[in-house]
Amino acid sequence: MKKHSFVALLLALACFAGRAEQPKLVIGAVYVGSVNDYGYNRSFHDALAQVARDLPGVKILEAENVPESATVEGIMEGMIQQGAKLIFPTSFGYAASARKMAKRHKDVAFEYAGDGDASRNFGVFFGSTQIAWYPMGVAAGRMTKTNKLGFVMGMPIGYALGNVNAFQMGARSVNKNVQTIVVVTGGWADKAKEAGAANALIDQGCDVVGMHVDSPATIIQTVEARGCKSIGFQSTEARALAPKGWITGLGFTWAPFFTQVAKDVMAGKFRGEAVYQGLGGMVAIAPFGPSVSADVQKQVNDAAQKIIKGFNPFTGPIKDNRGSVVLPPGASIGNDQMGGFDWYAEGIIGKVK
Amino acid sequence: MSELALRPFLRQALRHALVAVAALAMFAAILLVAGKDPLRAAADTCRSMTTVYGFSELLVRMTPLLLTAVAVALPSRLGLINVGGEGQLYMGAWLATAGALWFPAAPRWVLLPLVAAMGFLGGALWAAIPGVLRAMKLVNETIATLLLNYVAPLIVSYSIFGPWKAPGSSAYPESPAYPDAALLPAFFDTRVHGGLLLALAALLAYWILVDKTRWGLQMRAIGGNAEAAQRLGIPVAVFLVAGLALGGGMAGLAGMGEAMGVHGRLRQGLSPGFGFTGFLIAWLAGGRPLGILFMAFLFAIITAAGDTLQITQGLPFSVVNILLAMILFIVLARRPGGAR
Amino acid sequence: MTTPLVLGVLAGAVLSGTSLLYATLGETLAERSGIVNLGLEGVLLMGASVGFAVTAVTGNPWLGLAAAALTGGLANGLFGWLVVTRKANQLASGLAMMFFGFGVSALVGAPHVGAVITGLPKWRPAWLGALPWVSASTLFNYDLLTWLALPVALLVWWLLFKTRWGLGVRAVGESPAAAFASGRNPALLQFQALGLGGMLGGVAGAHLSLSLTLTWAEYMTAGRGFIAIALVIFSKWNPLRAVVGALLFGGAEALQLQLQARGSLISPFILEMMPYLLTLLVLLAWGGSRRLAAPAGLGRTFFGSD
Repeated sequence: MKKHSFVALLLALACFAGRAEQPKLVIGAVYVGSVNDYGYNRSFHDALAQVARDLPGVKILEAENVPESATVEGIMEGMIQQGAKLIFPTSFGYAASARKMAKRHKDVAFEYAGDGDASRNFGVFFGSTQIAWYPMGVAAGRMTKTNKLGFVMGMPIGYALGNVNAFQMGARSVNKNVQTIVVVTGGWADKAKEAGAANALIDQGCDVVGMHVDSPATIIQTVEARGCKSIGFQSTEARALAPKGWITGLGFTWAPFFTQVAKDVMAGKFRGEAVYQGLGGMVAIAPFGPSVSADVQKQVNDAAQKIIKGFNPFTGPIKDNRGSVVLPPGASIGNDQMGGFDWYAEGIIGKVK
Repeated sequence: MSELALRPFLRQALRHALVAVAALAMFAAILLVAGKDPLRAAADTCRSMTTVYGFSELLVRMTPLLLTAVAVALPSRLGLINVGGEGQLYMGAWLATAGALWFPAAPRWVLLPLVAAMGFLGGALWAAIPGVLRAMKLVNETIATLLLNYVAPLIVSYSIFGPWKAPGSSAYPESPAYPDAALLPAFFDTRVHGGLLLALAALLAYWILVDKTRWGLQMRAIGGNAEAAQRLGIPVAVFLVAGLALGGGMAGLAGMGEAMGVHGRLRQGLSPGFGFTGFLIAWLAGGRPLGILFMAFLFAIITAAGDTLQITQGLPFSVVNILLAMILFIVLARRPGGAR
Repeated sequence: MTTPLVLGVLAGAVLSGTSLLYATLGETLAERSGIVNLGLEGVLLMGASVGFAVTAVTGNPWLGLAAAALTGGLANGLFGWLVVTRKANQLASGLAMMFFGFGVSALVGAPHVGAVITGLPKWRPAWLGALPWVSASTLFNYDLLTWLALPVALLVWWLLFKTRWGLGVRAVGESPAAAFASGRNPALLQFQALGLGGMLGGVAGAHLSLSLTLTWAEYMTAGRGFIAIALVIFSKWNPLRAVVGALLFGGAEALQLQLQARGSLISPFILEMMPYLLTLLVLLAWGGSRRLAAPAGLGRTFFGSD
C-alpha cells in the first residue's frame, strides 16, 4: 500500500520535469571519496574544474563517496541519462562496472584511472607515481636521523607496493643503512587507523613518514603533532598541513591530459588508449618545506631530472626483502606494468600478503 | 468482496498515503534547507526510473533485500533477533566462491545448484555460531551477530589478497572470474539475474514453512513463550539454532546472488548495508511475506532515488538515509503501545 | 629510540579507547534505565560531524565540543520521544536512528570535508614528560577529554550508585511499574538518563573528529557504536568496568597496528579481526553471569523471549 502511494506521488510530481540548457559536452566523474580530501579525489576534481574553465560549454557532473560496488553502475547510467558523453571512473575498483557500461554505451567515451586493456571507447590512464617516489626516497634518506622511514599503506595493491619500493630504493641510494617500515590500514580512508598507524610507526623510531592512502591529511597532521617529518602524496596542497615537518611530496597534474581528451570527444575523434605518464607529465613534485637544505633540494631535483630523462630504478638485478631475485639482470618494469608488483624491496620491513 | 470490505481498505491506503506524503514533505524541507530544489529532484528521480533499464535496476536492488529481509523475519518468529545479515551475506559469497573455484570444470546443471547450496551453507554456518551461543545461553544473539558482521568481510579480504588472488590482478585484487557454469543467468540484456527467482522462491518457502507446516507452528510457539514451549516438549535449543541458521542461509544466498549474478567474481564491497536494510524491511512488513515484497520494492526505489539525487543535486548519497529514517520515525511514532 | 610494544599498545589503547569509553558510559546510563539504543553509531556520527563543522566555522574546538554534546543529547531526546513517549519498538527505533545519523552527519559534514581545524589542545605534565620512555611516545600527552575519561567514569558510577537519582534510574530499569508505584516518574527519569547519555555519546564522536583524526569522513566511526553496546554488556552495566573494556578493545586495535610496525608476518586482515573476536571471546567466557546482571527491564527487548 505504501509503495503504491509513494510511486503515484512521484509520478504526479514528474509532471514538473524541468528543462535543461544544452552544454557542448557533459562530463561525468565518479569519486570513491570526497573532493575535499587534500588527496586523490581532489586532484581529479581540480583538473576537471580547470577543463571547465579552459573549454567553454563544458558541464561537469560529479558523484562523491560512491563505494566500489554495484552502485557505481547505477550512478554512471544516471549520468549518461543526463547527457554525459565522457565519463571518468576514478577509482581502481570501478573497473568491471565501467567496462560493462562501456560495452553497453558505445557512443560514450570512458577514461578509467587504472590499468588493463583499452578498447575503442574505453581509455585507460594513470599517473605513474611509482618511479616518481624515487626522488622522494632520496629526500627522506637524506633527512632522516634515525635511518627509519615509515609508510602507511591503505591496501597492499600492486601500485602501492611499487610506490614504497621506489621510495626505499631512492633512500638507499643516498643512505646505506636506511629501512622502511610499512603498516597497512586495510582501507583507503580509515582515518582512525591511519592515526594509529602513524603513531605506531613513530613509536618504532621512524622520523619521516610517507603514505599511500586517499587523503594524507590525518597522517600528516598526526606526524606533525609528534614533531616528525612527512612526505605527502596525491596532492601537492597538503603541505599546508605541516608547516614545520613537510619535506616534499607528489601530486597529480591531470588537467592537460583531461583537456586533450575532452577536445577529442567534442571533435568526435576519441580513441581509447592506454596512457601512462610519470614525472613531468601527470605527476609533479610539490614545493619543498622550510627544513630542507639547499643541497638536499639539489640532490632531489637531480634525481627527478634523471628520471624525466628516462632513468628507471626498476631495472634488474633486484632482490626482494627476503633475499630472492625478483628482477633478473637487464629486465625492467615499465610504466604500464606498475600494477603488477607483489614484492617488497630490500630494507622494507613488512609482509606483502 | 463487497463495498463494506472496500471501505477499510481505502482507509488503510489513505493512511499509508499520508505517511508517504508526510515523509516526503519533511524530506523536501530538508532539501530546501540544504539549498536544493525538491521538485527538480523528484522529477529527475522519476525520469530515471521509468526507463526499461531504470526499472530493471530496481529489480536488481530488490533481489538481495528480499533475502536479507527473510533472513531477519524467519528467526524473528522464534523471538530471535538477527542483525548479522551483512556478515552472513559475505560468508555465503565466500563459500560459494570456494565451490566455484574448486570445481571449475563441472557442467552448469551441477555447478550452479552446488554454488547456490554452498552460498546457503556459508550464511547458515556463520549464523549457527551465534545460534549455538544463544541456545547455550552464553551470548545474546543480537551482539554476537553484530560482532561477526565485522569479521566476515575481513575473511573475504584476506582470501582475495591471498590464496584466491587472481593472477595479474595485483592492481586491484579480486578472485578469478567464476566459470560461466557458475554464473546466474541474466535476463534481456539487463542486470536482472536468476537470483531474483531464488529470492522469490525463498520468500515462498518462508511463507509455507511458517504458516503451513507444523514446524512453523512450533516456531511461533517458541516465539510466544519459550518456557511453555519447552514444557510442551518442543526442543527449543534445536529450533533456536536451526532458526538462526536458516535465516543466515537466506542472507548467504543473497551474497551468492550478488557474487554470481552481479559481479562475476569475489571482491570487496559486496554489500552497501543490505543486512541492516533487510532488518528494517522485515520489521516494517511485520514479518509478512507480501509486506516484505512491497517494502523491498519501496526501498529499492528510495535507494535508486538517492543515486539520482547525488548526480543531479550534488547531495551526498547518504542523505537518502534521512528519508528512510523519516518514514520509519513516522511509522514508529504512530504505533502506540509496544509494537511486535 | 623505540617504544616497547607494551607501552606502544597502552598508548594506542588510551587514545583509541577514549571515545569508546565515553560512548560506553553514555549507553550504560540509557540501558540502566531500561532502554537500549542500537542507533548509538548514528549519535556518535552526528556528534563527530556537528563538532567538526562548528569548529571549522568558528575556529574554536571548545564550541565544537559543546555543539557535539548538545547534538548527542538532542538525538537521544528524539530517540526517547519514540521509545518512551510513543512506546515504539526499541530495536527498530534504534536502527532508524542509525540511518538518521548516517544521513544527517553526511549532510552536515559534506561542506567541511578537508577543512583544517585546530583540534582540542593537548597537555603533558612536565614531570611525566621527563621520564625516558614517556617523552618519545604519546603517553600522557592528552587532550581534556582523555584526561577526564577516568573522572567521568567515576562520576557516572557515583551518579548511578550513590545518588537518589541514580537509584531511581536503576529502579526504572528493573521495573517501570514498581518505580511508578513508589512515587517516581519513570518517563522523566528515562529521558534524563537518555539525555545525559546522549551528551556523552556526542562527546565520544567529537573526540574522533576533533582530536584523534582532525578530519571528518562519512562513517568514520567504523562501528564503534556497536562495539560500545557490546562493551556495556561486557562491563555488566558498571561504569568502572567499562574502563577496562574500552582499554581492552582499544588495545586490541592498537596491537594489530603495532605488530605490523614491528614486521609481524601475520596478514593485516587477520590482525584486524582481533578486536572483534576478542570481544566475542570475552563475552563468551563470562557470558552466563552477565545476563543476570542486566537490568530486568532490558530483558524483554534485548534478550527476546526468555
